[in-house]
Amino acid sequence: MVAAFTRPGWYRAVLCTVLAAAFGVGLVVLLRSISGLSAFQSEQAGYPQVVVPLILAPLGFLLGIGCFDYWLRWGFGLPTIPDDHSSHGAYSWKDYFKVNTDHKVIGVQYVVTSFIFFLIGGLLAMLIRAELAQPGTQIVGASTFNSLFSTHAVLMIFVFIIPMFAGMANYVLPLMIGAPDMAFPRLNALSYWMLPLAGIMFLASFLAPGGAFDAGWTGYAPLSTSAPLGQSFFNIGVQFAGFSSIFTALNFLVTIVTMRAPGMTFWRMPLLVWANLSTSLLVVAATPFISGAQFMVLLDRILHTNFFQFGAGGDVISYQHIFWFYSHPAVYIMILPGFGIISEVISVHARKPIFGYRLMALALIGIVVLSYSVWAHHMFVAGMFSWLRVPMMLTTLLIAVPTGIKIFSWLGTLYFGKIHTKSTAMLFALAMIVTFTIGGISGVMLGMVPFDIHVSDTYFIVAHIHFVLFGGSVFTIFAGLYHWFPKMTGRMYDERLGRIHFWGTLIGTWGTFIPMHWVGMDGMPRRVADYASQFGDWNLLISCFAFLLGAVQLIFVYNMIVSWRFGPKAPDNPWGGKSIEWLVSSPPSVFNFDEIPRVVGGPYEYGIPGARHAIMPGEGAEVPATQQTVVGS
Amino acid sequence: MESASVPLPHGAGGHAAEHEHHGPPAANQSSRIDRQVLGILIFIISEVMLFGSFFASYFFLRVVVNPAAWPPHPFELPVAVAGMNTAILVSSSFTIHYALEGIRKGNKQAMKLGLALTWILGMTFLFVQINEYVHIGFSARTEAFGTIFYSLTGLHGAHVFLGLTLLTAATIRAFRGHFDKEPEKHLGVEVPGIYWHFVDIMWIIVFATVYIL
Repeated sequence: MVAAFTRPGWYRAVLCTVLAAAFGVGLVVLLRSISGLSAFQSEQAGYPQVVVPLILAPLGFLLGIGCFDYWLRWGFGLPTIPDDHSSHGAYSWKDYFKVNTDHKVIGVQYVVTSFIFFLIGGLLAMLIRAELAQPGTQIVGASTFNSLFSTHAVLMIFVFIIPMFAGMANYVLPLMIGAPDMAFPRLNALSYWMLPLAGIMFLASFLAPGGAFDAGWTGYAPLSTSAPLGQSFFNIGVQFAGFSSIFTALNFLVTIVTMRAPGMTFWRMPLLVWANLSTSLLVVAATPFISGAQFMVLLDRILHTNFFQFGAGGDVISYQHIFWFYSHPAVYIMILPGFGIISEVISVHARKPIFGYRLMALALIGIVVLSYSVWAHHMFVAGMFSWLRVPMMLTTLLIAVPTGIKIFSWLGTLYFGKIHTKSTAMLFALAMIVTFTIGGISGVMLGMVPFDIHVSDTYFIVAHIHFVLFGGSVFTIFAGLYHWFPKMTGRMYDERLGRIHFWGTLIGTWGTFIPMHWVGMDGMPRRVADYASQFGDWNLLISCFAFLLGAVQLIFVYNMIVSWRFGPKAPDNPWGGKSIEWLVSSPPSVFNFDEIPRVVGGPYEYGIPGARHAIMPGEGAEVPATQQTVVGS
Repeated sequence: MESASVPLPHGAGGHAAEHEHHGPPAANQSSRIDRQVLGILIFIISEVMLFGSFFASYFFLRVVVNPAAWPPHPFELPVAVAGMNTAILVSSSFTIHYALEGIRKGNKQAMKLGLALTWILGMTFLFVQINEYVHIGFSARTEAFGTIFYSLTGLHGAHVFLGLTLLTAATIRAFRGHFDKEPEKHLGVEVPGIYWHFVDIMWIIVFATVYIL
């Protein structure tokens, strides 16, 4: 029995979590006693005896489950255990609940975990729509409503969309570039295990006295600095989610730069790889700003520092500047990997090379650069420097240019292509182009200062964000999941159910979010549990479509689970793709390749006779010698 | 950073009987830069941006709010003590460089000496810093100035602590005879060394901004 508590695993994880939490409480009580304070502080915003254990307990869990074992042995100068690959690859379902270093296992862990958070976040959205179906109070009070929409947004952003993209890229990116794994497999495992901790922490805030955090996902000071205890759960959870995505991005960058197969130059990389390269650049350089902003709020709450305390020389607006310096790039973090997925899906199912491949890649880089210069367009009505408004408006309009390049390149790819929709993935990709374009255009409208002032904090904003995040990001996620489901599981999904899911999702999305534009322009404020009775009919309609949207997601869940278990065996290359992940078995073997493939051409050479992207080991060597040894930087 | 010390899965593990597989194929090295060196450099970009968020706050509190007195009236910063501390930290950058140059030439004694000196200098820096906090006379709650002074220097102190943790591991392994001349055999010194240089340069920026500017 003792052995169970010394081996890495769940027993040790629970033990270490409890010990770390107890240590945290003890530390706070001890320090407060030494300083002559009462042992337990229970002011509205403080609670250090809860907050310190909240930081330490997840670290205890990570230690217990075994994320740090190798590094600790190394650090203490012990001989490291030779890598026997025993924690690599999944041989039964139990291996998915352990620290695993295989990028494919981690990818599946990511996808499944973040999808569970998607369902929980969706459930919260259903509660929000139930409350808003009629004017007046229906099922929850105003305060719970604030918690609901805050938690909904935080779950969807930090533990669904961002890690879902990280998960899918984790699975396919090393395969696409011909790498046997990610550059730092143990760091990859650590990144994954921080994700459920962050999600659970967000949800656990419902148990805190005063309810879950309710200052919105933006957590503006001074609302957040004086909010009840639940806000601290958000501040700390974001740190774990942030570290997780920074380490994953670092891993992607190093993998892409140093581990490409022979012949895989930068200009031969699939656009999904380009998309994750640019997203990772954003994550690495922007995410520290939200860490910083939430540290500051936490310090103001716990130590009563004065970052945002006006009376003591603090600056309230500075929170918004620091927050949006991350959170505007974050919206590109939430869409660029989706752009990559759409490029893959469109090209394969339209049987044409990507139109303007290099410009597509450069547009991604352009978005990365420009996205650092637009943050204050979220703050036109915040009382910031007025001279900053027009420059921010101009850069905001400018960033529509590279985005437009991508839209037109997809249309150029489709033009005269042999479009077929035998896969639901293609349906979602086509729908995404339309829906995202509408969301993008309302984004340009919001970039205009006068229009933005008119619709600030109305449902127009809600409509815009959901058109780009649901109609954009989530549609690309579904496209990607349908596209790579056969590769990940080795099974085919039920196409008929996929179609029902697609049409239900499309109608639900448009029905829910299009009317929000209208009620928003008429002045219905967002983030309020009640509204003027004149908006009642529209809101009932919106709620009905929202319930439809929620219900059809259950079809997707059923389809995926049943197909994973009982679906017909998938061929290696069901869609006729050319990139390397389609040239290996479905699912790929534990180490991806017996021998690293050689890349001899572009990734999208559809319809070009004799064109090859990569040559797998053991295949014929009838490749021109000039093509064989091109190695990128 | 921890990941710096992670060797790759390589070669056959010798446990083929347990699971029916051999090890992964060696990855193609598509860039001249070592992946662990690149990893720590990218991590440092993140760290710079974390400092950037606090510097942003600093300039908001000082320039935008523009308080009547900076620092608040009765207090002043011990520039001389901090300047001496700066000299200590800067010299530790030279000692870590000495250690790295030593092991590059295969001189393990020089490496041990360099690492031990760096470690001692780093600890001295932290000790002086904490001593400064004790005697400085204001707290993190003393207006916005106290807040941003403690958070910038404290954030840097936390990074010194992290760097020292990495150096402790490197020093322990050095004294156990783990590193050697070949480039891939002393990454455990090189990577913490790069991080230590970052901590050092960041201190110069913090010192110049908070104490002198």
